[in-house]
Amino acid sequence: MKIEKANAGFLTNFEVLDFLRSRGAKIDPMGCLGAVAASECKVYEYLLKTPACNQTRESIDEFVTRCESFKLTNADKLNVINWRPSSAADAYAMIEECGRRFSKDERGEAHNEDERVKEFLELVKEVLPPPPPKPEAMTE
Amino acid sequence: MFVLSQIEHNLPMPPHLLSRPLLDAIKSELERLFLDKVVANLGLCVSVYDIRSVEGGFIFPGEGCSTYKVSFRLLMFRPFVGEVLVGKISGYDEKGLHVSLDFFSDICIPGHLMQYGTARALDGRWMLKTEDGDELYLDIDDEIRFLVSSIKYPPIPVEQKEDDRPFAPMQIIGSIKGDGLGLLAWWAADEEDGEDEAER
Repeated sequence: MKIEKANAGFLTNFEVLDFLRSRGAKIDPMGCLGAVAASECKVYEYLLKTPACNQTRESIDEFVTRCESFKLTNADKLNVINWRPSSAADAYAMIEECGRRFSKDERGEAHNEDERVKEFLELVKEVLPPPPPKPEAMTE
Repeated sequence: MFVLSQIEHNLPMPPHLLSRPLLDAIKSELERLFLDKVVANLGLCVSVYDIRSVEGGFIFPGEGCSTYKVSFRLLMFRPFVGEVLVGKISGYDEKGLHVSLDFFSDICIPGHLMQYGTARALDGRWMLKTEDGDELYLDIDDEIRFLVSSIKYPPIPVEQKEDDRPFAPMQIIGSIKGDGLGLLAWWAADEEDGEDEAER
């Protein structure tokens, strides 16, 4: 076995979900025995619980074009598309060195980083659909 | 989380599959070989993405199977260092927490990579003491958001003792030290103020 390209491209959760759906994966484990293996079904079920389950290709494309000004790396974009941050803390977790990078805007002038983070979160909320509400609340 | 890897393999096609259409037979052989298995440094194979080319079909002397040189892409689960993942806590021990994604369970969050101030409570669970004096427990089945800090592919052990944990060919070490990481419940409540606890 020869590995030609160890990394032939990253995939967002949405693309994997789309791929498994097109192969015929369904939630019902008995329904997809022929086309899709049990381990693939597990991946499909896991992905349905993430915010990727109601994204569309268009919304992801729109998000990528509109966040040009924030100068995110591919890794940051992947984290944001996969997990849809909804608060400042989420954004700080998903974007590396968020405070330092957001303290300058696209022209290189000093800017208030909280405002940039808020702008960014507004963009995310507008473009990417919100994840469906969880069936039962997590109570401790 | 998922990466495509392009691989070329000399695949022997057993004779009992010769009656099936070639691409189907090759796909099912590849799935039998790679699906749900870990390839060192490439990750866990989730699915065969596509078959790019098939060459050959030679029969070597002394064998009954024809050998094809197949070039194909596999969908691998291989998170990169610095990626944020969400999983469920599946257990804890003195070293740290064990987290599982439904299809992958060898994720460990060691004690030194947890929020500052987390320690083991009396009953064995891990607990974070916040500034306000709240005790936040990390319980089984809680959803937890963590950062991937490293991925190890330990070599296959030559011999295993009876009660050792089953061998894990791919181990992910995670960290919950940082803003927005840790139990989802900790960060969900206050969207306006930001943090529920301090890590300083």
